[in-house]
Amino acid sequence: MKIATIKTPDQVIIPLQQHAGAVCNSLVSVGDIVSAGQLIGDGESRIHSSVSGEVTAVSELPHPTGKNVPSVVINIHEGAEKEIEPEELSTGKLRHIIREAGIIEPNGLSTLRTKAEIDTIIINGTNTDDLSSNAALMLDYPAEIVYSLKALMELVGAKKAFIVIELNSEALQVMRTETIPDRNIKVIATPMYYPPGTEDVLVKNVAKKKVPRGSTPEDRGVLVSSIAAMKAIYDAVHGIPMIKKVITVAGAVGSPRNVLVDIGTPIGHVIEECGGCNGTPAKIIVNGAISGTAQYTDQVPVIKTTTGILVQTEKDVNREPPAPCINCAWCVDACPIGLMPHLLYGYADSAEFDRCADLYIDDCIECGLCAYICPSKLPIVQMIRYGKHGIAEAEMEDLS
Amino acid sequence: MTFTISPPPHVKSRESVKSVMWGTVAALIPVSLAAIYLFGLPALMVILASVIAAVVTEVIIYWAASQPITAGDGNAVLIGLLLALILPPDIPIWIPIAGSVFAIAVAKYIFGGTGTLIFHPALIGFAFLLAAWPTLLSTASTPHLGSFSDLFLETGAGRLIEVSPALVLLGGAFVLYKRYVDRRVAISATILLIPSMLILGMGWQLPYILTGGFFLGLIFLAADPVTSPVTKRGRLVYGIVLVVLILIQLHFNAYFTGLCFAILLMNAFGPFIDKNTVPTPIGGR
Ligand code: SF4
Ligand code: SF4
Repeated sequence: MKIATIKTPDQVIIPLQQHAGAVCNSLVSVGDIVSAGQLIGDGESRIHSSVSGEVTAVSELPHPTGKNVPSVVINIHEGAEKEIEPEELSTGKLRHIIREAGIIEPNGLSTLRTKAEIDTIIINGTNTDDLSSNAALMLDYPAEIVYSLKALMELVGAKKAFIVIELNSEALQVMRTETIPDRNIKVIATPMYYPPGTEDVLVKNVAKKKVPRGSTPEDRGVLVSSIAAMKAIYDAVHGIPMIKKVITVAGAVGSPRNVLVDIGTPIGHVIEECGGCNGTPAKIIVNGAISGTAQYTDQVPVIKTTTGILVQTEKDVNREPPAPCINCAWCVDACPIGLMPHLLYGYADSAEFDRCADLYIDDCIECGLCAYICPSKLPIVQMIRYGKHGIAEAEMEDLS
Repeated sequence: MTFTISPPPHVKSRESVKSVMWGTVAALIPVSLAAIYLFGLPALMVILASVIAAVVTEVIIYWAASQPITAGDGNAVLIGLLLALILPPDIPIWIPIAGSVFAIAVAKYIFGGTGTLIFHPALIGFAFLLAAWPTLLSTASTPHLGSFSDLFLETGAGRLIEVSPALVLLGGAFVLYKRYVDRRVAISATILLIPSMLILGMGWQLPYILTGGFFLGLIFLAADPVTSPVTKRGRLVYGIVLVVLILIQLHFNAYFTGLCFAILLMNAFGPFIDKNTVPTPIGGR
């Protein structure tokens, strides 16, 4: 068993926005008694309670993206029935089940977005050091993942599927063995880590199809999904909506590991359950060292798109002052999208936003790979955000 | 409890400008030692004079301009060392000093420092010396690969760098592995040069390019990250056109100096190549 379970907290905070889209409407109000698996938010996506207890507040609370988002706070009832009775549902209604269960991909979108014809499914199973939940899930639930993948292939009519795993992962062998009977499912080893947001790159590298600007992988007949979604689909088919998430807890904690967490658990509680911080935490990051978001409070909850929590102490926090760009082109080689990060940095720095636009600054997915590799330690992502902001502002002015 | 908030990434790779520059210097230490072994004290004097002059010039200029003094990043040391290595040992000591001062003051500082400079400072220093005192710079001998042992210790070396092609390649392998120099430029140029010489019937000149000077030029000077292009396609184009220029120089029997001018000329084309090879992002145009 790779994935550990942790104690349920006394209180969970379930944001009504855990997907890319508008906030869901709350279906509960203060004082209501809810049970685990009960629908509490509806709208563009569906949100279920992960615990049984009493709603004590419905208000705007800190969210891992840094904003405040309307959230349902639930105090857990002592001795309340927590487990839901799993029941087998028919796969015929899979499309309906995926929506009902509120399944959200790590990039914030739902798994099935269109009814377009799909011939290939790509499952992103790549990991990095501090985000290894994909590997943990594949090691613990290989059969469940393949089960869901086959169900999904049948549903959309896909003829082949690829599971992409990085070269030195233990999961590679496990998944290869698991998919031996299925000739139309291929396990692909890659040296690269594909962060959420690089779906188009996966389509190009794995399915060998280009996704032109303004269109989606689905337009080219490719559906990109994730290991987490496969597990969620399996659960959904067995009657459990998306109320739990496997996340990686890494960095300066007592026992770094992959844990199964109820959605809505404050990250502070998760850290405590993983042995607490080693030393004084200086920075808490949700979703990985390279592209994640630094949090200003440990009271933000784990949500459907959370993949990991990283704790850094003062000595881990990079405070090296940046030096001038030396033109080494490492960032150019690192960018999965094929941009010129050092030029974007330079033009944004001197407020030449037109030039940023000419170099497709809006295509940047802010994955952070360029800034990670940069020997001059330039805050490239920060500057690119500034550049995008500058362009947006100029457009607003043009409109008015 | 307060936590630090900052944009991603929250870790940075261990490589820094410092590690790139000092790492490249380290890669040149073995061949420098070999040069001192073969040429004795004069070689040591040339290296010391050149490196010290480069560092002192950098400190003074940046101090006078009240800009942060970055001599610690190793760039000035690297420029000084590269310049020393491409000089002959038996020259007046003020020659490397003048070259280094010019390299740092003009080629580096006036062109805006590391990152914006266009021409390789060490090569500019060399070209300056060559223009000002051509006779003083003539080498005592022109090395060429006669026997196999010449690969390791070339007794016919005329410049410091020429003492050991093998040691230059060793350092080159290190910087290529660490990506401290650009692989695309170095490898495309090296791979292309030899077959094209054979095809063009210049095979008899091969012994003259299997020398420390050429390996230094192709790996450390031409593929220098600062002055070579940044786009992926551009770096290949750069390597290929460089080979064409070298072949032209070889046609006129210009060996090491020919190579240096070929690289300087390519330096001038660098920005132009970059402009015309801007990559198409994944979504197309
Ligand atoms: S953050 Fe950097 S590497 Fe990532 S897409 Fe943007 S420019 Fe490219
Ligand atoms: S990695 Fe950094 S130093 Fe190198 S070209 Fe890019 S921005 Fe410049």
